[in-house]
Amino acid sequence: MSDDNWPTPLPRPGDDDETPGADASVFAVFAPPDDPPPSDEPLESGESSEAAALGVEPSGAGLSVRSGPPAASGVGTAVLGAGGADRVVGSRRRIGPLSWIGAVLLGVWLVAMPLTSSVTELRQNTQIIVMVLAVLGVNIATGYGGMISLGHGVFVAVGAFAAAYAVDDLALPWVLSILAGAAFAGVIGALVGLPALRIKGIHLALVTLGLAIVFQPLAKRVPAFSGGVSGRAVGAELVPPSWFGTSRWAEGLYHYLICLVVVGLAMWLTHNIIKSRPGRAMRAVRDNDTAAAVYGVNLVASRVSTFAVSASLAGLAGALGIVLVPFASQESYPFQESLVLYATAVLGGLGSLWGSVLGVAIREVFSRIGELLGDVSGLGPLGEFLRLLDEEQFVFGVLLVALTFVFPRGLIGMFNRRKT
Amino acid sequence: MNWNFEILPDFIFNGLRDGAVYAAAALALVLIFKATTLINFATGELAMLGAFFVYVLNIEQGLWLWLSIAIAMLVSAGIGAAVERALVRPFDPADHLPVVLITLGLFLIINAVAGDVWNYQVRRVNDPFGQFPSWVPNGSELKTSSEGTIACLENADGALAEVAPGTAGADMCEMVGRTFFEVIGARLHYRTIGTWIALALALIALAIILGKTKAGLAFRAVSSNTESARLVGVNTGRTLGFGWALASVFGTLSAALVAPALGGVNPNMMLTILIYALAGAALGGLDSLGGAVIGGLVVGLIKSVLVSWFGVVVLGQAYFSILQLATAFLLILIVLLFRPAGLFGTRRIERV
Repeated sequence: MSDDNWPTPLPRPGDDDETPGADASVFAVFAPPDDPPPSDEPLESGESSEAAALGVEPSGAGLSVRSGPPAASGVGTAVLGAGGADRVVGSRRRIGPLSWIGAVLLGVWLVAMPLTSSVTELRQNTQIIVMVLAVLGVNIATGYGGMISLGHGVFVAVGAFAAAYAVDDLALPWVLSILAGAAFAGVIGALVGLPALRIKGIHLALVTLGLAIVFQPLAKRVPAFSGGVSGRAVGAELVPPSWFGTSRWAEGLYHYLICLVVVGLAMWLTHNIIKSRPGRAMRAVRDNDTAAAVYGVNLVASRVSTFAVSASLAGLAGALGIVLVPFASQESYPFQESLVLYATAVLGGLGSLWGSVLGVAIREVFSRIGELLGDVSGLGPLGEFLRLLDEEQFVFGVLLVALTFVFPRGLIGMFNRRKT
Repeated sequence: MNWNFEILPDFIFNGLRDGAVYAAAALALVLIFKATTLINFATGELAMLGAFFVYVLNIEQGLWLWLSIAIAMLVSAGIGAAVERALVRPFDPADHLPVVLITLGLFLIINAVAGDVWNYQVRRVNDPFGQFPSWVPNGSELKTSSEGTIACLENADGALAEVAPGTAGADMCEMVGRTFFEVIGARLHYRTIGTWIALALALIALAIILGKTKAGLAFRAVSSNTESARLVGVNTGRTLGFGWALASVFGTLSAALVAPALGGVNPNMMLTILIYALAGAALGGLDSLGGAVIGGLVVGLIKSVLVSWFGVVVLGQAYFSILQLATAFLLILIVLLFRPAGLFGTRRIERV
């Protein structure tokens, strides 16, 4: 296919980073089924745009590539809120008012929070920030890679244990230990990614859920790595340099800043991966693996590396976790944690980087509300019910069910896209 | 290598007992998968809820155990049908993801609610198959020695401790002796036999329901081809609700049978059972009812004979005991990787 054959609206390879419609499928995910069909412009449809983003004309290969679901609706963008409102399909990259508000709120919170918090609160809030990475990991595998993962809590745990092992038993410096935690989780993730080459959809959900449930009892019995039933305390401490201050608050602030920088760097890296060739390949494989293979994507490499990247993000979250709380135990990573991570990613919006941030924010808001309501006492059976709201698991279960009802087709993006 | 074949029958009996429980739980999964090609991830939690109903009725309210189990099964059937009606039917069955999310949400909700109501400690339950009825000969009588002393309790060395008749020890002997037979040198526990009988009766009932009743015919029609069934006038929605009700009954049966062996009920009791049941269902083919039963039994045998007997006894590697759950997980992985249709499943599920 020579360059002259390109229809004019199609992008050339290499200049498609900000192509309108490059994210179409991401947003189409949230579109209700009865929306008016999109215009005939090939770029407007979800799947063909992925193919286009790879630099190939979709219909050229003789494969019938179904016209994708319609473009984002108002409801869809509202759900994505701060994350997605700026990227309505068909428009140039514009930053909508909702995003501005979200970004300003986030910025203000990031600055004001450490200044107004006690040491304990600061630590808790830092943990919340770190949580974004784990949710982002789920998002990469499920939202961008189309491989449902109900077991990401395992990678968080593996990252934490590996970093604890590196910093204590191998006496590595913290930087290397944290990287080792992420890398080790990535290797485990690649191993888990291997079966995902053949096992898809609901079967992969089954396998990853199995992994999440099997992990805890197994980790209990490997004391050298996980500290066994009681867990392992981390001996090494990440002490700030003396010029930074020596108070406990200064230490908390130091950890906060480090975590913030690492999370920011990781998000920036992920953003770059997603916007570059591997990321486009990832999404093309998600949308139609056969077509992607025809266009020259190496399916094995793409799936395995997607899972590795997503697991190492989760592992990084685990490794940062032991900087904040120098203790790692299988108790901290029950299988429910994996399901809640998944729910958080879905809640924030799959296939959107900022969706993960939004998901964690929603999670936090609901758990705060739950805490408040759970503290109200003396209401009898109603009080019993309110106490349930303090239970994160319960709240997430309800949110998951409710969300699925509100956007029944909205969450279909991950598998069976092509089902008629 | 220590090929201790003498104790092998013990492991086989145990394996088949656990396997019967897994078979019942796997049936709960397969009944739903067969009709809708959906995996109900909340199967284990719904079953756990059923076991708690038995606990409440029997221990807290003092109802007769069998009546409690029967009521719990009926209530679970109602809950299963209600879940199908309220949470599953609104969605297009061809889209898997919404229902996966719904059942995962249910998983979290039921687990949290049960944890909130009954907290996470293990609560003892009565064993439906604790002791043989009095007309069954005492299993330990075989060991009555000539001097009139009864030898029944094994001490730490494996030797028999002798006790004099009429003492507390002899009563204990009598009690323990009433829990098992001796068959080919192994203990065949009443609990084991009872579990098998319960499963067999439930399977016969299922065969009659599916084979001889109109609702069963409708279920078979829907699971064979939903569209055609609808065209010839089968009420598919109601039939699927019926399938969920049947599945919940089997789930509750498995949970009620396994609870005494676990020491009691608690909100997380079905987690590991779910993995074994998934392994059994995957091995059997996910859409084959007979396959689920055989798969469950095979998983029980693999766990007991291959891992516990061969690994721990023959190879002498104690760490094998931690690999039981991992083996079930590996089994799921291997089956789905190399033979997604399992042993008895139809091929179509490969493309799902």
